[in-house]
Amino acid sequence: MNVQKFLHTIDGISTWVGKAAAWLIMALMFVVCIEVFKRYILNAPTAWIFDLDNMLYGTLFMMCGAYTLAQNAHVRGDFLYSSMKPRTQAFLDLVLYIVFFIPGIAALIYAGWSYAADSWRILEHSTVTANGPPVYHFKTVIPIAGCMVILQGIAEIVRAAVCLKTGEWPSRLHDVAEIDVIEEQLAHSEYVDEESRKIAIERAKEIDEVARQRGMGGELNQ
Amino acid sequence: MSDPALGLLMLCLIVVVIMMGFPTAFTLMGLGMMFGFKAFYDPSHSFADNKVFDLMVQRTYGAMTNDVLISIPLFVLMGYVMERGALVDKMFYSIQLAFRKVSASLAVATLIVCTFWGIASGLVGAVVVLMGVIAFNPMLKAGYDVKLAAGVITAGGTLGILIPPSVMIIVYAAVAGQSVVKLYASAMFPGFFLSFLYLIYIVGWAMINPKIAPALSEAQTRVPVPDWLTRFQSLYSRNVLVGLGKALISPGKALALPAEKGNVTYGMIVVNFIAALVPFMIVAGTLALTWWYVVIHQQKGPEEVFQGVQQLGQPVAAGPSAPVDDGPPVAFFWWFGGIAIVCLLWQFRYYARITIDRLQVIKLLSTSIMPLGILTVVVLAVILFGITTATESAGVGAAGAFLLALQARTLDWKRTKEAVFLTAKTTAMVCWLFVGSALFSGVFAILGGQALVEQWVLSLNMSPIQFMILSQAIIFVLGWPLEWTEIIVIFVPIFLPLLKHFNIDPILWGTLVFVNLQAAFLSPPVAMSAFYLKGVAPKHVTLNQIFNGMMPYMIIVIICMVIMYLWPGLTLWLPNYLYGN
Repeated sequence: MNVQKFLHTIDGISTWVGKAAAWLIMALMFVVCIEVFKRYILNAPTAWIFDLDNMLYGTLFMMCGAYTLAQNAHVRGDFLYSSMKPRTQAFLDLVLYIVFFIPGIAALIYAGWSYAADSWRILEHSTVTANGPPVYHFKTVIPIAGCMVILQGIAEIVRAAVCLKTGEWPSRLHDVAEIDVIEEQLAHSEYVDEESRKIAIERAKEIDEVARQRGMGGELNQ
Repeated sequence: MSDPALGLLMLCLIVVVIMMGFPTAFTLMGLGMMFGFKAFYDPSHSFADNKVFDLMVQRTYGAMTNDVLISIPLFVLMGYVMERGALVDKMFYSIQLAFRKVSASLAVATLIVCTFWGIASGLVGAVVVLMGVIAFNPMLKAGYDVKLAAGVITAGGTLGILIPPSVMIIVYAAVAGQSVVKLYASAMFPGFFLSFLYLIYIVGWAMINPKIAPALSEAQTRVPVPDWLTRFQSLYSRNVLVGLGKALISPGKALALPAEKGNVTYGMIVVNFIAALVPFMIVAGTLALTWWYVVIHQQKGPEEVFQGVQQLGQPVAAGPSAPVDDGPPVAFFWWFGGIAIVCLLWQFRYYARITIDRLQVIKLLSTSIMPLGILTVVVLAVILFGITTATESAGVGAAGAFLLALQARTLDWKRTKEAVFLTAKTTAMVCWLFVGSALFSGVFAILGGQALVEQWVLSLNMSPIQFMILSQAIIFVLGWPLEWTEIIVIFVPIFLPLLKHFNIDPILWGTLVFVNLQAAFLSPPVAMSAFYLKGVAPKHVTLNQIFNGMMPYMIIVIICMVIMYLWPGLTLWLPNYLYGN
């Protein structure tokens, strides 16, 4: 199996799981709205809703950790980083992934495992209300999310190694980015002329990158 | 090496590693794990029993069940949906028409759109690029000064991170253990005040020196009035409100007029009549709401308590001794009456001169801004008046954003998916960072690094003002290379325990930090927004021109901070009024 395919497979797994978990936000939104209606209008609040909200939110962000890593969307101080050559970046990444990332996440999996195991052993229930819902499955999310992140981390290490060899970063799966809103907004604009619209949409990504480097990666070529 | 020294080493290492560009969340976790392992190391236990593992998983679970952070995904979702649902170019166009008679109208419209946009979404990059395309070129074509045009876009674009509901404020609330609603209430004033100061600066400058912002040509300020309305006006009355009123009673002449499709219908007259009344409804509604909240709502409180006691079946205890609120102070009635009269006079003058142009502008404004405006006002009012919690408001706000986008027909399946996935990524980014920093700060405290920093600061014998200036200066400098997430999550917690010693209100300090980061994001040569604007600007606009344009706004932000510090009451009045002390 070639390396690029291996990377994309792992990216694909992380992305799929992350996108599946992402829909929990819709569930959370509906649960909150229904509860608002029940509590403030019907005057019939539900006791376990607080736990449910937490579970939806906690599962959402933990399970999206690997997805975010696969899309390189975890915040990083890219002030200096992004103006370095790809090889230097890869070297730093490779070292730091092994020194900080692997021990940190391995500890999280190990600790999360025993934490969840304890919870399963006593079939722990939430103590927010007197008769709270079970939380052992929720605590199990910690080691599972840890495993997902470490899997993606291994892919990132391989990525850095490949880049170190070839001098070029292997590609990532395409995904929606914040700057895409430019296209959404301008595509059907009635008040902006055709030409500047096209230019802005085409160059949005590039502009985003250059701005993050604060111009240190070289001027925009116009 | 002693433990506190290890703590300081840890702090230095984190700065170095962040600069190397490694994802900060994992840097924090890794460093926290290693130094924690050393701090908890006990030779009599096996290495697998080290307490750092317990600390780590407790902190993780703590972030997963954090009842403040839970509103982040909901607010973020609301922002992304609104950002994709509202049409910013339409907003700009209608606001620009509404302000066509004000000097520097394009710049004023830009600023207002940015402020509105700041309420909806907190993304600096996207708004600067968008306004760069929509407003920058028209401003340059109209002969505006490059510095004026560049400054207003970059300064307005960064307002988004400050104006509630902003994610930065939620994260600060979680870090500082403060109430989100109080922080929102206190950020309201600086957010809108800053925008107001910018406005004064632009209009003032343009009035002193009209050359920098020449008036627009006739063609650009002409309001596109439909043909039938022009004829309608000549048939009935020059005053559109009077005319529409007459037409409601005797629609005969109007119904004969040809419109775009067929003849004018009675429904069209009704719609236009209602549209003409929108400004009045807004003014009256605001006044009524204020009256309701201050006079009626406040007095309802004690009565409800009183009834509750009776229902519990304790007739003895429930005497007339229940505390009765005296109601609002007399000064309120004077102020309220005065403002109401001024509003009434203004409305009278407004309606006496209402023409079809104005009616058309009102219609444009209400289709482009009103939905977004109503949603944000409802969300903010519900949070601020303490009717629901921040999480519940965020959930309802997100649902409302979906409804608005559906109503405006700008939402499809693709955009929904995009908004959901972007929300997931942003939430994961912020919350994983929080997990890492919770572990990191725990270990930092255990090692005694925090105590060392505190001792050192206390040994400097600073006055509260000096401490305030020092802390804000440090944050200002950190704001150059770092993003707000890193500053709030990693560095702010170091200052927080010291605030108590200097008797500084964490809410005021936090609000100052938010404003401060504005200034940091506007400071050359590292301000990101300048580079975003440069990306879409025509070739002849240089980066230096943009930086020069930004400078005055940075100074305005600093003036705003000084004002906030000198009169803390301005910032703290709203939270204190709404929630007491």
